[in-house]
Amino acid sequence: MAEIRLEGLTFRYPNASEATLSELTLAVPRGEAHALLGSSGAGKSTLLNLLSGLLPAPPGSIFFDDVDVGRLEPWARKVTQVFQFPVLYEAMTVLENLCFPMRELAAGEQQRRARDVAERLGIHGVLTAKPAALTLVQKQLAAIGKALMRPDVSLVLLDEPLTAAEPGHKWRLRQTLRALQADLGATMIYVTHDQTEALTFADRVSVLHEGRILQTGTPEALVDAPDHEHVGYFVGSPGMNLIDGEVRNGRALIRTGDGGVLELGALPVADGPCRFGFRPEWAVLSQEPEGLPVQVHATRTLGASRGETHGLVVAEHQGTEIFTRQNLAGVVPGPARVRIEPERLVGFRDGWRVGAGPAGQ
Amino acid sequence: MNRPQNNRAWLGVLPVLLIVAFSAVIPLMTVVNYSVQDIFDVNTRLFVGFDWYRETLRDPRFLDALLRQLGFSALVLAIELPLGILVARAIPREGRWVGLILVLLAIPLLIPWNVVGTIWQLFARPDIGLFGQLVNGLGIEFNYTAEPLHAWVTLIMMDVWHWTSLVALLAFSGLTAIPAACYQAAVMDGAGSWQVFRHVELPRLTAVLVIAVLLRLMDSFMIYTEPFVLTGGGPGNSTTFLSQYLTSMAVGQFDLGPAAAFSVLYFLAVLLLCWLFYTSVIASDGERG
Repeated sequence: MAEIRLEGLTFRYPNASEATLSELTLAVPRGEAHALLGSSGAGKSTLLNLLSGLLPAPPGSIFFDDVDVGRLEPWARKVTQVFQFPVLYEAMTVLENLCFPMRELAAGEQQRRARDVAERLGIHGVLTAKPAALTLVQKQLAAIGKALMRPDVSLVLLDEPLTAAEPGHKWRLRQTLRALQADLGATMIYVTHDQTEALTFADRVSVLHEGRILQTGTPEALVDAPDHEHVGYFVGSPGMNLIDGEVRNGRALIRTGDGGVLELGALPVADGPCRFGFRPEWAVLSQEPEGLPVQVHATRTLGASRGETHGLVVAEHQGTEIFTRQNLAGVVPGPARVRIEPERLVGFRDGWRVGAGPAGQ
Repeated sequence: MNRPQNNRAWLGVLPVLLIVAFSAVIPLMTVVNYSVQDIFDVNTRLFVGFDWYRETLRDPRFLDALLRQLGFSALVLAIELPLGILVARAIPREGRWVGLILVLLAIPLLIPWNVVGTIWQLFARPDIGLFGQLVNGLGIEFNYTAEPLHAWVTLIMMDVWHWTSLVALLAFSGLTAIPAACYQAAVMDGAGSWQVFRHVELPRLTAVLVIAVLLRLMDSFMIYTEPFVLTGGGPGNSTTFLSQYLTSMAVGQFDLGPAAAFSVLYFLAVLLLCWLFYTSVIASDGERG
């Protein structure tokens, strides 16, 4: 296992006018489960191919344990990958597939390792079968096993490995993968556009957007203190509510429709225009007159427990959509107020959270 | 098993049965009819049972032609299959040239068979043919009309030229269906070019290669036009294959009884070969699980 470092990695395809990845800096310590989260087109696949060595990287930009691997072949980098759908050698048995990446080891050692991993993955019963006889989930488990076989593997890449699995299986697969990662102490980079997968799998998550890493942090940090509006908006379902306002004397203010000014809370930053963000979980409809005035349009039920219906309230404040996540009892369309937990308010300027931003990274 | 029986459904299949009868069964039965009788004219006929079959199977010329036929099919398959795969692997998978390459490859397949024979008849002529002259220029006295070996070499080359494209195009279509991730995974496993072919490509090409072998086996086993034009079966009988011997029997000598028995045997041989090949593939497929 290795520590993975990106140092100002910039990559442009030949004949492309713009760089696909620009100035990526990231350190993934040994044995960390890291997730790269981004929508399609963010540059995830390119970064994946640069890490694996399918694409050569500029010198001095990718280090595995202080070795510049930019020009090394995948095999020399000791990188393995799990793909979106199970990739196995069709004519080999599962056991032969597992043994193939460690064909430099003695046969007995190969078998011992393969059986051990197969047991942990719960596919030891199908070791002698060919992939065609397996279910999709078993195949992907075998592919995951194959990626973990090399004794000296430095990095395991996972490219949306659960895409093909049915929703019911995803959770179990992710747990199996996570447990195995912890047991083996494998450095893993899990690439996905699915925030649930990223947040539940990883120790830390990097959010990739338009070829840049906007933020690297624990799942909690991404939720509580997003460094960039896009992180706030992209992480969370639905994402952060954003409204424009102004900071004066450390107070977050917005203009109400009738020309008045409303204080949302305290925000200890310099005076000036500011965009305020708060998650739907941090807001609730209330009757108190000092809340944010909104027009409630609809509710979306997400679940129920102990006789209470929970869900989303879809509302609007001066043309901006506002969501709150709360108990839906008694919520009716019409004018209402939204009370926001004042201490959780986040302020953004030029897209970046005040105090964070590229300079602060 | 209490399904309601409705015999009127048979009426529904009647048109198909009629078409099959006219296109296949009736002509075939005519041949079978001739093969068990000695027919002199409309009113004079003699039932001879399996005599024609016995006679054909004991005919040394038939057995020689059969042997040559098997040898020819085995040789062209042994060359065209690997060569076609090799060509297919050399074609780029994408890019602006792919279309042009495929069209160029397909050209031999679009040429009428007797024209192919004529092309090679001219091409290989030792006096004015480009190929014949070239070989003679190398100090080998090349003459496919006199030397059986030269005739065979020319014939095999002609068939390879004519049909390798078919194998290549089929194999190419199979290769393009292999997802890029399979290759990427193999690269990460440190697999070399041979291992990529053996473990990634070949298992996924099996289906198209079965079709390729089946087509080439049937076609080469029934080859007629090209050797007829190129060598006329000679020198001597050295390139006389089954179809040509059959034609000379039926059309040249008008031996309808033996020719009919020959036809039935020929048909059964093709059928048997294809069946043997197909079942062996299915069996090994089942083994692979």
